[in-house]
Amino acid sequence: MEPRYYDIRCVRGEVTQIEVDDGVVESAGTSFFDKTVVRVLGPAGWGILVLDHVDLDSRRAVEAIVAEAVPLAGITEDRVDLAPAPRGLLASPPLREDPRNVDLEEKTRLLAEIEAAARLPEVVNTRARYTEGIDHVRFMDSSGSEMSYETVRSGFSVVAVASRNGVMQMGSERDHITGGFNLRDKQGLGQKAGETAVDLLGAGLAKGGATKAVLDPELAGVFTHEAVGHASEGDLVREGNSVLKGKIGETIGCEGLVIVDDPSLPGFGFDPVDAEGVKPERTEIISGGVLQAYLHNRETLAAVGDGIAGHARAEHGAAPQVRMSNTFIENGDATYEEIMDECRDGILLIGSRGGQVDPGRGVFQFNAEYGYLIENGEKTRMVRDVSLSGEILRTLHDIVLIGNDRKMHPGYCGKGGQSVPVSDGAPHLLLKNAMLGGRGS
Amino acid sequence: MKGEYLIDDIIREGRHHADEVEVFYVRGSSISAEIKQSIIGAAEASREWAVAIRTIKDGRIGISSTSDPAKWRECLDAALASGRIATPQEWHGLPKPADIVSTAPSADRELVVDAGGAADLIARLLEGAAEYPVDVAGGGADLARSHLTIANSSGVLYGMERTSASVSLEAIREHSTGYEFAASPFTADIDPRSVGEQAAFLASHSVGGQEILTGRYDVVLSPIAAAQLIGTILVPALSGRNVKAGRSYLAGKLGEQCMDESLSIVDDPFARGMGSTCWDGEGVPTQQLDFVRDGELRCFAYDLKTAYRYGEDSTGSATRSGAGGAPAIGLHNLVVDGPRTRVDDERAIFVHTVVGAHTANPFSGDFSIEVSNAYWIEDGVAGDPIRTAMFAGNLFEMLRSVDGLGEDSRIVGRLILPSIRFNNQHIVGT
Repeated sequence: MEPRYYDIRCVRGEVTQIEVDDGVVESAGTSFFDKTVVRVLGPAGWGILVLDHVDLDSRRAVEAIVAEAVPLAGITEDRVDLAPAPRGLLASPPLREDPRNVDLEEKTRLLAEIEAAARLPEVVNTRARYTEGIDHVRFMDSSGSEMSYETVRSGFSVVAVASRNGVMQMGSERDHITGGFNLRDKQGLGQKAGETAVDLLGAGLAKGGATKAVLDPELAGVFTHEAVGHASEGDLVREGNSVLKGKIGETIGCEGLVIVDDPSLPGFGFDPVDAEGVKPERTEIISGGVLQAYLHNRETLAAVGDGIAGHARAEHGAAPQVRMSNTFIENGDATYEEIMDECRDGILLIGSRGGQVDPGRGVFQFNAEYGYLIENGEKTRMVRDVSLSGEILRTLHDIVLIGNDRKMHPGYCGKGGQSVPVSDGAPHLLLKNAMLGGRGS
Repeated sequence: MKGEYLIDDIIREGRHHADEVEVFYVRGSSISAEIKQSIIGAAEASREWAVAIRTIKDGRIGISSTSDPAKWRECLDAALASGRIATPQEWHGLPKPADIVSTAPSADRELVVDAGGAADLIARLLEGAAEYPVDVAGGGADLARSHLTIANSSGVLYGMERTSASVSLEAIREHSTGYEFAASPFTADIDPRSVGEQAAFLASHSVGGQEILTGRYDVVLSPIAAAQLIGTILVPALSGRNVKAGRSYLAGKLGEQCMDESLSIVDDPFARGMGSTCWDGEGVPTQQLDFVRDGELRCFAYDLKTAYRYGEDSTGSATRSGAGGAPAIGLHNLVVDGPRTRVDDERAIFVHTVVGAHTANPFSGDFSIEVSNAYWIEDGVAGDPIRTAMFAGNLFEMLRSVDGLGEDSRIVGRLILPSIRFNNQHIVGT
């Protein structure tokens, strides 16, 4: 049986990791991988084969793996069609310093300096981890498209744990970039992690319940990602597993709200081409508070409509999924002072310990690193272990003010067992009726 | 197989440059079929091959891995280069061959990795889901078999088979979702029909949830919800490395009554679970580890590296994350046990899963998370659903006063545990 379509994506590369724990170099080294994923579209759906080290220059090897995937496609029942989409490879931003030209000793020394900077009085443990990934990606499909490119990503995280009278608190910082080496002059972030851990020792517990909340750009970015990004993914919409299904054209957020996913921007979520060979372009998910588009790959675009393909991404050795890339809320016009003033009494939430969403139910949760009470428009007492939860279809209406100071933050996003680099961001936001979780009284 | 020959080559070559060499070699295959709205969507097969090499020279440990057999020399060089950078540490050698007489139920001889088998599991999942008026949003079935080998320059050469069968289903009705899963090394141990039925029940039963007022309530955590919190907060605190580094809440509490006296928490590598094994990720024979017995904290988990550094013994607790992973302190099968009782007789809020467990604070034990598929339960009967609520607490404090372990028990990842009742908990509602 001749497949209707096939594509092959091979990622070869190396991962360098360094871990420094309390001044001790625990591990520092490089590992290698070489993964090929073949997808074959049979009469109904996809047959997928994942293999190590395939020789793609051999015509026979390519034919053999395609043939092997055909019977897998044969057991599928769900008819998949692919929407046409523009092919093409964007130019990658110029490589600043190439991490391959920096030896492991120097990387280790720079990381150890960041880690050492976190070691402040009352800090009992410091750890830092460097991760560098070099991917050589090769893509080919049955329509004759063929392209290849290289990505270089590097970055680090640093965690400090402070202790006083049996109370233990942590501070953490991270920074990742694409297209360069990212360990120089970063001791400031190590110190900041240490300071946060120590400051949190004296922080109070937040009182749970509905309140007004100011989100800093990092946390507002996580909010954007969890509250809107995931639910707009075309595969979830197609499965009926998103509260945004059927809501195109409806006003789901406040006036002036614009939410974007743009894989073509040179942020940490940048890819020069998506995992199906489609040229990446910007998608405006929400504009003027109205739901405009979903994020799609070719399959979900054909099935659902409303949007463009180009949002397929994959970890090496895994089949593409619809994913976010660089996701953000566009700037509004409120200044930080106006936002604090308008809030009057509430809570300022800073930094992120991550979040999660159930897109079908439309409920999300995310956790701030720390916060401050806002009393009379002024930032006062520090609080710890504060999380926010909310419902997607209500929360976006509860955005009262949108700041003018958008910042992006890099991170990794997990979905279906795959982790991909993303960035998200927003300006400062003021939310009303924010559900705060906390056990203080 | 190429891999087995390679092990000898790598050790022989590595011995020219290092005091000791270790090779961890994995080959495996798996099949998965995915559900798309009540029919089979994509079907995926994978074959993997990976080798991880460790070298030790003058107490400096180097590591690398590759998934390309042709690159083994490059991988060995990378391991040696990595060792030159690592800080030297106290080291008394890789394990010598031991007479391993124990057995661990890690593989199902009957399990066949084929697409037809996965399709059968899916048919049974869907049959179960049809018991309630719901839409199926997704899910799937996976079958996997792998062969693991560890060898070192002291003569250790152990091999084992590992299999796994897993199914999951996500159902939706209006804006209520329900998710269930099951996984085991043994196909016969999982019941896809009841997984499908349970997911459908949860979605269906959660429709029309009521608001709840902020206050103190008795709570029963399902094994999944309990595992989500225990995995994020308690498990890292049992690692000897975290203890010695001063980042475990349990550091300095050995011998103390840290938990409710009904509670025992044991790593049992010989139990029927996802981590069953007779040797750990470094070739050290595994043993049953009584972390907590009747509420008393008895021990922590160590791998060789941490044990040598701090003058402790390895507890056979090294695990590897996937093929090519470096060994690190982990768990085999963490069993939470104690006297069992009916935890759902007296009225309480039953919490099936939580959203955002990974945002908990592992050092202090504090968390505030959103509950999912929560409903009132009384006399063992599921009552009114709760729409949204946050649960805020401190797991270490909660474990000091447990109000009952349920009569159920199930595998959730590397944990095997029952439902757990905690009375008088802080729920944030409207």
